Amino acid sequence: MFPTPIQHASKTRQRLYTVALPVVLFLWLLPLLAIFMTSIRPALDINSGNLFGWPSSFDLIDNYVAVFTQSEALRYFWNSVKVTVPTVIISVSLACLAGYGLAIYRFKLALPLFFLFIAGNFVPFQILMVPVRDLSVRTGLYDTVTGLVLFHAAFQTGFCTLFMRNFIRDLPRELIESARIEGVGELRIFWFLVLPLVRPAIAALSVLIFTFIWNDFFWATVLTQGESSKPITAGIRALNGQFVSQWHLVSAASLMAAVPPILIFFAMQKHFIAGLTLGATKG
Amino acid sequence: MAQVELKGVKKSFGKTDVIRDVNLQINDGEFVVFVGPSGCGKSTLLRLIAGLEELSSGEIHIADRAVMDLPPSKRGIAMVFQSYALYPHMSVFHNMAFSLDLQGVSKAEIHERVLAAAKILQMEHLLDRRPAALSGGQRQRVAIGRAIVRNPDVFLFDEPLSNLDAALRHDTRVEIAKLHKQLGATTVYVTHDQVEAMTLADKIVVLKDGEVMQVGSPMDLFKSPANEFVAGFLGSPKMNFFEGELTGGAGTDQGHFKGEGLTLSGVRLVSTDKSVGDKILLGIRPQHMTLDSDGLLKGRATLVERLGTETVVELLTEQGTSFRFACPEMLDIATGQDVSFSIDAARAHLF
Repeated sequence: MFPTPIQHASKTRQRLYTVALPVVLFLWLLPLLAIFMTSIRPALDINSGNLFGWPSSFDLIDNYVAVFTQSEALRYFWNSVKVTVPTVIISVSLACLAGYGLAIYRFKLALPLFFLFIAGNFVPFQILMVPVRDLSVRTGLYDTVTGLVLFHAAFQTGFCTLFMRNFIRDLPRELIESARIEGVGELRIFWFLVLPLVRPAIAALSVLIFTFIWNDFFWATVLTQGESSKPITAGIRALNGQFVSQWHLVSAASLMAAVPPILIFFAMQKHFIAGLTLGATKG
Repeated sequence: MAQVELKGVKKSFGKTDVIRDVNLQINDGEFVVFVGPSGCGKSTLLRLIAGLEELSSGEIHIADRAVMDLPPSKRGIAMVFQSYALYPHMSVFHNMAFSLDLQGVSKAEIHERVLAAAKILQMEHLLDRRPAALSGGQRQRVAIGRAIVRNPDVFLFDEPLSNLDAALRHDTRVEIAKLHKQLGATTVYVTHDQVEAMTLADKIVVLKDGEVMQVGSPMDLFKSPANEFVAGFLGSPKMNFFEGELTGGAGTDQGHFKGEGLTLSGVRLVSTDKSVGDKILLGIRPQHMTLDSDGLLKGRATLVERLGTETVVELLTEQGTSFRFACPEMLDIATGQDVSFSIDAARAHLF
């Protein structure tokens, strides 16, 4: 089997492996570890320059409680949820429908249209910053959760469609033809055949988009201003007061903010079963 | 009465004509096999009947109804695909019940119909399984069951045995033949396998490059092929062809042939447009030649295949034409040996 199990390697290699693995792991996790250590320090340590040394006291609970009690973090969290969940639902559902159309139906513009979706992904969205902000101000969507959702959905649907179209395209075509002959309507084919069979793709895409949107800092900064719509990524900055730096609280909040995408990943994990179409054809 | 009628059917993909002017009458209850080499348009023709492809021109009637503008589901057909096309996330029962369920057929009736189909195919014990847990032959049976449940006027089979191994292919072929006897439904069956065509068909339709070469019962096609293509396509090993000259009988159905050291008279003359002196092809099946030391057809053996049931010898004439001889006996012909044959003019053809 490949890669060859380490037990089969020479003694020297095995020793090197046992030493190198923890070192690499430590290096890999160092930034996260640093943030964690900062998040359990008292503010005093940071101000006195004890950034990487042993904390003078362990304020784990105090700091994490402070994040939620002394700031609007909870509200930002909720805003993040309000932005991320609808965006994921809108982009993935639109992508499934568009992907089905592009993959299954033969019409003249299918391919050009598909290329348009791909091409859209090549536009760096940073260059759209000013026009999009302008647009959102004019349409009254500036600084609203709805605005963020709409813009995120607009930007993500292109990629999602590309992804779903390719997955649906890979389904055996006879399945759909067979259902058509049996008199199953197109929407029902989509709902009862295609959706169940691309479930792993939908799960993977949802996790991906959830992480993208949840971690988005760019549009969160560009399109929001006030407490009512600011998601956690942009909100964390506000923990650093105007005059005082509270890096220990910023660190604690950052770690908390990283948790939901991980939870979503594990929640969706059981859907990532490959080979759902096994048995459809000769196999 | 579920007869199928094709009138002037044409289909082209872009500039390529895939089906050119096919006219065909399929009677009620008949088992018709479309056979031909790959790319001859047989599957396309089936898909046109099914309604999965749109006609470029022509008419298709099923049970006396013009169906050109009807969707596949309204044509009274059921189709079994080469790849089975089972719904992988449903049990066998639900695979068969799916369309009935969506059409609002009552639960009790669905149950009854699925069980009846399962009984015909002897797969009642498989109903709870998922397709992934079935063997290739069982999957094919589920696919057939799904067709039976719909109670169609016409069954369409698109190379249903191609994915099975040789032993299973034989068994399933026998089952399909029995099933057709039992149900008596009109069946159109596409295959590239001449054995399937010969054994299953009431009527064979030989296709080549989108055109019908010949239509007829298996034995008619075997005994009196309408052209060189049909003659070469049916029968194994392939029919031998020798080049020569028409020396008499032009315009009649009996011709005289001279060539390759042979002179034959009273041979079935297929082409009517040949005149005396024209080049012509003599066709004779490898089984219809006789070993004869005085025979006029001489060849040198280049390969001897002993199949147990049959010995097949490949030979080369002096002019370099290769031909085969097949005979059910064990022969002790060695490679390199010179052999001569006589030919029964009554079993030869002139194309």
